[in-house]
Amino acid sequence: MSSIADTASPTVPRERVRAAKRKGQRDTRMAYLLLLPYIVLLIMFGVFPVAYAFGLSFVDTIENAFYGLANYEFVFNDFRVPTAAINVLWFVVIWVAMTMIGVATLSLMLDSVGRRTATTLRTIYFLPGAVTSSAVVVLWLFMLDPGVSPFQGLLHAAGWTYSIDVISGIGLAGVFALMAYFSASGGWIVVFGGALSSLPSEVLEAARVDGANRFQLATRIKLPMIWRSLVLMGILSFAAGLQLFVEPQLMQLAGPQSAQNDWSLNQMAFQYAFRMGDFGASAALSTMLVGTSIIIALVIVFATRFYKID
Amino acid sequence: MADARTPPFRLNLGRFIVYAVLLFAVCFYGIPLLWLLLAGTRSQSSLFADPPFSIGNWEMFLVTWNNLTTYNNFQIVSWAANSAIYSVGGVLLSLFASIPAGYALAASEFPGRKLILVVTLIAMITPSTAVVLPIFLEMNLLGLNNSYAGMILVSGFFPFGVYLTYVYFSTSLPKGVMDSARVDGANRFELFTRIALPLARPIVALVAFFSFIGIWSNYFLAFVLLSDDKLYNLPVGLTVLISTSGALSNLPANDVPIKKPEVILAAILVILPVLLIFIVAQRFVRSGTLSGAEKG
Repeated sequence: MSSIADTASPTVPRERVRAAKRKGQRDTRMAYLLLLPYIVLLIMFGVFPVAYAFGLSFVDTIENAFYGLANYEFVFNDFRVPTAAINVLWFVVIWVAMTMIGVATLSLMLDSVGRRTATTLRTIYFLPGAVTSSAVVVLWLFMLDPGVSPFQGLLHAAGWTYSIDVISGIGLAGVFALMAYFSASGGWIVVFGGALSSLPSEVLEAARVDGANRFQLATRIKLPMIWRSLVLMGILSFAAGLQLFVEPQLMQLAGPQSAQNDWSLNQMAFQYAFRMGDFGASAALSTMLVGTSIIIALVIVFATRFYKID
Repeated sequence: MADARTPPFRLNLGRFIVYAVLLFAVCFYGIPLLWLLLAGTRSQSSLFADPPFSIGNWEMFLVTWNNLTTYNNFQIVSWAANSAIYSVGGVLLSLFASIPAGYALAASEFPGRKLILVVTLIAMITPSTAVVLPIFLEMNLLGLNNSYAGMILVSGFFPFGVYLTYVYFSTSLPKGVMDSARVDGANRFELFTRIALPLARPIVALVAFFSFIGIWSNYFLAFVLLSDDKLYNLPVGLTVLISTSGALSNLPANDVPIKKPEVILAAILVILPVLLIFIVAQRFVRSGTLSGAEKG
């Protein structure tokens, strides 16, 4: 499948050059044919929506006229937006810190105990990953309700009688971080279990011979070796966290007094479209949110070499 | 690996801390799930009065089950059916699109290849929640919201599947076999169907696994795209059950038969398929998530 330039040296007869060219063209056609269904979907649900939202963000969708930057101005002047941004940042900071520290600590500890124990524990940590989206919110609303929670001893000891005490005691950002950590961290622990078990045994053996104890082995040898993947996990979690929607949106399930309809940025974009019917403002805020994600993705792809593209 | 060379078990401070932390984590991850599964068998009053881990009884479970399934003319059954339709349709479409695409990216050289790879990576790293509202605006334009087709089409777009397939074929496609098949006169399409597809079984399973989990538990997309309650999937249905009955808010009792036990059972229905798949396919997570990422 070499390029045509390789085959087209002066000594090669002309017919063979042409044949190679035709073959190359047929290869290209075949590749495009195989890619066709995916490219249609990529354009429909990757490229087009982002471009469409971008275009819509400059339109007054109620009057159907060009609006310049007025939608952006409107979003920035909405007093709820900066509050939501701060809320989301708090959530992301707590969640990413919990994830980096929790996943690294538990993965390294599991790597230092017997293999059977580690496999069993890892499975227990992993299964909550099945509890996602609305189910994780429902489950944790039970966990944080001192009336029924299996942790009620703990909650009562903290002086909390009703769920609303618990939620305001921990803080909404902390509650959402807890929910997200509960369901997302186990998968990463499994991933790092695999990464740690494939570290070169010569290096670990050499460190042991040099007298490193388990703690030094974990912090000085293993941790630096998985550090890059840990950072990648942190960046991916950060990007996902900025888009927070489900957890705050579903707080209303605990009763009207707990509702948080404009807590996060994505909720604000949702409010603009669904409560106010202002698609232009919704598009402006969505564009900024997607734009941030795309910038993060570009940094990961081009500034780091985490993902193989050749 | 570690235990082969370690001295016989000795309890020192370091080991004590390790086991204490690991045990604490067992409680954190294990207790909520265990509680949920047991609570599905208990009555409303037992949830409040009995110890957290008491087990209810079979009769109670049947009563709860009946309350839940018959409520609103078997609404939850149709939501479960919707979830199944979206998941099966979405997984099939994502396989149909991503396996040939990943193969083409790995096996051939053509103009635009690098661009497609980079756009795929960006789409894969961008959280899917970031494009839900733009997709809603688009579907609104196309008139595709509130339809099975719309949900399945959106779910079939799965760049991570393309990337997984690309990485798989770039490392596992035997060049020798491909060349000799070509010499034997197989055309390019036959190379894909006869050589690549039979090799693709593990990657098909891996892509289907990640795709299914994503689609089955997608709340945000269904919540935004669907306004007709007949079309809801289970994660949205679960929240509708709770908000129409007020089952979680400890407000004065009403005569809706959906109380806490019914909600718990509905939540179990939402997570059960993924839980079962997780139990048999934990290794998929390990082999898939960082696939292609440089190790270490």
